[in-house]
Amino acid sequence: MKSRMLLSVAVLGLFAATPAVAQTTLNVVTAGDQNMVDYVNNYLGPRFEKMNPGVQVRAVGTGPGDSGSQKIYEKLSAQQKAGAATWDVDVAVVHQRGAATMVGDKLLMPYRNDIAAGKLVSRDTAKNALGADVDGYVLPMFHSQIAFAYNPDLVKAPPKSFGELAEWVKKNPKQFGYNGVKGGMSGVGFVMGWVAANSGMGDKLEKGPYDPAAKATIEKSLTSLKDFNQYVVMTPGNAGTLDMLNRGEIAMGPVWVDMFYTWMADGKMNPKVKLELPSPGLPGQPMYYVIPAKAANAAMAKKFIDFAESPEVQADGIVKQFNWYPGIDPQYVQSKLEPAAWNKLFTDISPATLAKNGRPFPLSQYFTDIVEGYERVVLK
Amino acid sequence: MSSKGPPRAAHPAPSGGGGSAAAKPQAWRSLSTYWPALALVTPALVVVGVFFVVPLLLSAIGAFRAADGGFTLAHFEKSLELYTRDLVFTLGIVALSTVLIALVATAIAGYLTLGESPRAVAVLRWLYRWPLFIPFVVTGQVMRTFLAKNGMLNHALIGTGLIEPISAQSMLDWRGIVIAFVWKQAPFVTLLVAGAMAALAREHIEAARNLGAPRWRVLVEIVLPQVRGTLLVGLVLSFVTMLSVLSVPLMINPNSPTMITVDVAYRINTFADYAVANALCLLSLLVAAFGAAFYLRHAVRRAESGA
Repeated sequence: MKSRMLLSVAVLGLFAATPAVAQTTLNVVTAGDQNMVDYVNNYLGPRFEKMNPGVQVRAVGTGPGDSGSQKIYEKLSAQQKAGAATWDVDVAVVHQRGAATMVGDKLLMPYRNDIAAGKLVSRDTAKNALGADVDGYVLPMFHSQIAFAYNPDLVKAPPKSFGELAEWVKKNPKQFGYNGVKGGMSGVGFVMGWVAANSGMGDKLEKGPYDPAAKATIEKSLTSLKDFNQYVVMTPGNAGTLDMLNRGEIAMGPVWVDMFYTWMADGKMNPKVKLELPSPGLPGQPMYYVIPAKAANAAMAKKFIDFAESPEVQADGIVKQFNWYPGIDPQYVQSKLEPAAWNKLFTDISPATLAKNGRPFPLSQYFTDIVEGYERVVLK
Repeated sequence: MSSKGPPRAAHPAPSGGGGSAAAKPQAWRSLSTYWPALALVTPALVVVGVFFVVPLLLSAIGAFRAADGGFTLAHFEKSLELYTRDLVFTLGIVALSTVLIALVATAIAGYLTLGESPRAVAVLRWLYRWPLFIPFVVTGQVMRTFLAKNGMLNHALIGTGLIEPISAQSMLDWRGIVIAFVWKQAPFVTLLVAGAMAALAREHIEAARNLGAPRWRVLVEIVLPQVRGTLLVGLVLSFVTMLSVLSVPLMINPNSPTMITVDVAYRINTFADYAVANALCLLSLLVAAFGAAFYLRHAVRRAESGA
């Protein structure tokens, strides 16, 4: 009897000793390259945990490109179809195509108006994802941009437009490299830029309306890309283009600006290599923070995103440490950074050029028509 | 892969036979002796059924199902329209790799069996197995830097004066895939073939050597015919394995022409188009089926001959 009482006292004591706040695990699932997982695990997570005792941030990566977002979509969709009461993803980071599909399938919760940082976003991408209305459901984590990287030792005057590029590769065969449409988004983005420049329907591709009859125009512009491809090198993936540039095997190629700067900062890239954003433009895209419709910890998820979108985190984490363009309006971010750190982001590509030649990806339907057209016309 | 084949029905059950069973009718007796065998094999059958046969059937059905649920051949039309070249390319790469693997494996196993320098044999025996323990994805990654235009291979060739720097070229195309496959799969076939060669009676080899036959003739005319079956089985297994590898073509050459596995991943990842992906899978299954049919025929023949 006595021992049982002692035991219960001990158990009570054990309960009293645990902190009042219950342990919450915030599951953050992110599409994209490894740097996305690193960002949450090494930067965002620890800071958020420090501010919110009892909360543990756990980040999982689902892989690069749209396929990463597709995996998140399939997981949420499965939980929706199974009728689960709560879903085990609290915050997801997805691409535009993924976000558009998820909003369409009612897998997400509108939250922008619930958090303070929701008022800091200004770009059109916060409302529109490849033609789909995502207003209220998403906040851009950052914007990234595709640009040509070139070695100025080999290329004195980089081509300023797609027309000049087509001439340039004929004079310098096998010096331009890109990764096709099956090896990552920098190659896909180049193809989108090519079609926008050569089909004369740049605006229509971005703003719609979708016209299935435009397939013929798209395929015609891809015929010239087939000719172009004879003079270029095919690289194995986004990192493959950077690798070949660094080894001097190609002199120029399309790359993601953030990857380029990160490689540069890590000493993996020849420091002489520079960037150029040709006319009429190359696509870029944001990654979005979204909250699943039945997230188990929705309130904490909102708090997490509010923190991640704060000007301080956007300045120090997104711009300074990870070399992305900010997700919120730059005016709130610039004042939080010393001029050197801010200017580093715009060394080769000025804010004006970025505003003019940084394009969104085409509407989903056009996107599909272009990549399938590439397979049908260019690869045959 | 065991030459014993399926469990022999003739084996009596370990217990429960006894005198009483003898009194029962013939059919009942055979059933009761089967029970333990059935019980033993059921878990394996269930696992194969649930995790292999059912998904395979679902995938096959998906390849013929239209968006409205009806029957269609549209997915196959699309597959053939867009990916015929990749199918041919896949077949070509895998066939060429299989031939090269046969040559390399025969050469290595032959030297292990007929080599006269014990030290060289020991070193070779130790070395050739290494790639067996390296996953395909790592092989792909290694080859990516090894075979690049300014990669290690070309540096070595230029350094030794074998090629001029200007003629160095990247091998990150079909050649890279073939090199990666041969490097990875040859040791596996060698392992099987060398084992079979070691089990041969030495009299024929020694008789031929005594009569003055050079080693290559002994290998081609005496040893190889006796291990032909093992070599073929090893090659068929490699053929089927290589057909299904995604990581190597993805890392070395994901652009057209590329292997069909890359296209399957691409249809799913970029378009969420499982229907065409399923059709492509069925088409490559058809190719693999040739290998499987050959393997089964050979295995059955061996089982029947009691080997």
